[in-house]
Parts: sequence; structure tokens; C-alpha cells
Amino acid sequence: MGKSSDTRYIFSAGDLYQKDFSIAFRKEDGNFYIPIKDTRELYCFNDITLSTKLLQLLAKAGIVVHFFGYYENYIGTFYPKEQLLSGRLTVAQALAYEQNRLQIAGQIIKGIAKNTYFVLYHYYRHGKSELKDFLDWLRKDVSRLVDSVGNIKQLLRIEGEIWARFYQSFRVFLPESFAMNKRVKRPPDNPINALISFGNTLLYTKTITQIFHTHLNQTISFLHEPAERRFSLSLDLSEVFKPVLVCKTIFDCVNNRKIMVEKHFDKKLNYALLNELGRKVFIEAFEERLNQTFEHQTLRRRCSYKQAIRLDGYKLIKHILEGKNFVPFCMEDKK
Amino acid sequence: MNKPNFNYAIVFYDVGEKRVAKIFKICKQYLKHYQKSVFRGHITPGNYLELKNKLKKAIDPDHDFITFIQTISESSFHEESIGNTGVSPESIII
Repeated sequence: MGKSSDTRYIFSAGDLYQKDFSIAFRKEDGNFYIPIKDTRELYCFNDITLSTKLLQLLAKAGIVVHFFGYYENYIGTFYPKEQLLSGRLTVAQALAYEQNRLQIAGQIIKGIAKNTYFVLYHYYRHGKSELKDFLDWLRKDVSRLVDSVGNIKQLLRIEGEIWARFYQSFRVFLPESFAMNKRVKRPPDNPINALISFGNTLLYTKTITQIFHTHLNQTISFLHEPAERRFSLSLDLSEVFKPVLVCKTIFDCVNNRKIMVEKHFDKKLNYALLNELGRKVFIEAFEERLNQTFEHQTLRRRCSYKQAIRLDGYKLIKHILEGKNFVPFCMEDKK
Repeated sequence: MNKPNFNYAIVFYDVGEKRVAKIFKICKQYLKHYQKSVFRGHITPGNYLELKNKLKKAIDPDHDFITFIQTISESSFHEESIGNTGVSPESIII
């Protein structure tokens, strides 16, 4: 049975065009019809031609299209004209950046620590006692450290330390072929770095789509510098989801031998790039995780992890406009 | 009282030759083309009403026949298929 998903990943080369007020994809071995009302996002990984007529239709339907280059590098997003504009919120968001940045960024870092703790505790409980030091540090010291800092640079240093120690702990529970010494980006230099980079890119684009459906301004961020040329708020909001969505998908794929170094990575590039089969396995596992639901403790109903990203956006809005405490998604409390 | 929230639909139609293409065009905006005259897929209750009303206008009620089956999700029914479909219309990777 097919899995329901409002996302399509296009890996074949072909033309994407508009037909009968819906989307059609023409490739070598026939046409493929994509229902417009059941689509939120398209990911283009190959050589794809599209027309403005299609873009017009996509803009009307509010469908976001992400483009990727030959090496899975993120090129950009077709971002339809904003439907949800709110001057009031934009002004308030900028004010919050001026006055409240440290507090919001601090909450995000506490969120990262909590979710990392949640992910690693599973392995600790199953006998990996080497993790104890790091877990204690995450639980006790991080929130104290975060509360004591006076500027954003120091906060970023704490964040860096969390990630560095988190990545180092991988060798405790991952097989040797996926061991990791150091996080290397642009380009990643070994399989595990490649998986993390690819996963983070997917999560980043997912978050862009979710923020698109809120009134938030994508360029005003709190933890990351609101630099030009990219949607830095999406980097902020995706941060707390990295351990629970990206890393857990990786652990699942690697430890259950769904992804293997010889089979799913490009040998020519020193195993630093997923090959086509590898990408498919990873994307399927990642989509499944995003669409998985849990019982939301405040809303008292089931909600998927994808929705949880959007809910984090709403929480931020509530914080900015109404002064309600901003506590990012936490795996333990399920809210 | 508590009406379940139907989020998945299967539509099969049996319509006059003249109107087949018309029905096909309407359905493919909302659902995935599963078999020759069968569509199915995830659909919101609002979109479902929209689809139903559009189809209602397009058919000739004396001769045509369309059935909608609504379920909670694709995991709430069991299904068995034999033969080869070729390209699966529901795969997330194209």
C-alpha cells in the first residue's frame, strides 16, 4: 500500500508542466500525474525543465519547490509570493530580536540539549555507560551555563560544544565503518558526515515550507545571525529537531543495516556522497519519521513531527506578540 | 455525534464515453490515478466536498455512476493486488 505524503522527490530527468490545472511530470518512460491539492512540496534533484505557467499554478496553490545541484547541494527554493503577510508581526519580530534575542536563543539551546539527551538516553539505558558523563552534563550543566551567559557569542560556544560532544559519542553505538572523528562540511569527507549533511539539508528545507505557512518573517532569526541571502529563521527552528529527526533516522538506517557503506555510497568520491539507491532509502526513512504521529500533550490530539515544526513557529509568534514563554519542541514532554 | 474525520478516499466511476476525460481531469487534481477508472489518495474533508460538487456538475445523473469510499486513512483497510502496475502512482520518489 502506498504511503500518504504531500511531498514528491523527483530524481528522474524530465519536464514538469501544467496540465488541466494540475501538475504533470513527463519523463522518458511515460507521464506521471501529481495531484495539485495533495501536494505541499516538490524536491528537484535532477535536470528538470519547468515553465512559468506551472510556477503560476504552484504559486496559487502555495506549493514550495526546492532545487538541488549535482552533488545534492542545496541551490534554492521557489518561494511563492507570501500570502500570509503581517506587518504587525514583522515589526514585533524585529523588536524581539533587539530586546529578547538572548532569551529566545537560550531556549533553543536548552531545547537542543533536552532532545540530544532524549536520543542518547536510549543507548545509555541499553548498556552504553560511556555516555554517562555527557548525559549528566546535558541535563545539569547546560541550562545553568545558558542562564549565566551575557552575549550571543558565548551561547554559540555552548551550542558548538553540545554538537561536538554529541557527534563524538556516535562511535559508542554506531558500527566502525560509520565512525566519526570530526564534523566536516562543504564538502563532507566520509559517510557519516555525508548523511548528516544530507539530512540537515532536508530538514532545513522542510522547515522553510512549514514557516511559509505561518506569518513569520524568514529572515529575522535569533540564534543564528540574520544574515542576508538565506532564510536563517529556518536554521533556528530546525535546530532542536536535528537530533530527533535527522540523527535518529541515521541511527535507524545504519544500525539496522538499511544503509551500508559499500552499497549506498559513491565509491569514486571516497564514500562521501550518497548514491541514488542510498538517497532513496534515506529519504523514505526520513519521510516516514516526519509523518509519524505522537500524542501532543497540550493539544490533546495526535500530531505529526512535521506539524510539530509548524507548531514551534506558532509558539514563537505567541512569544513575540503575547509574551508567552517560548519553549521549543521537546521529545520528552511531547509538546 | 462524533463523526470520524475522513481523510482518505477511493473514487471509482462508470460514465458515458463523452464525459470520461472530463471526470478524469477533475479527479486528478485531488487524488492519485490508481487504476483505469479508479482514483484514490489522501484528501481533506474540505477538498472532498469540493471534488464531490465538481463531479456532481460534470455528470449526467441518469446515466453515470460514481462511488466514493471514505476511510480514516490508508492503514484502515486491507488490500491485496495481483499483477504488475508498472509505475506506482503513490511513490514519494519519482
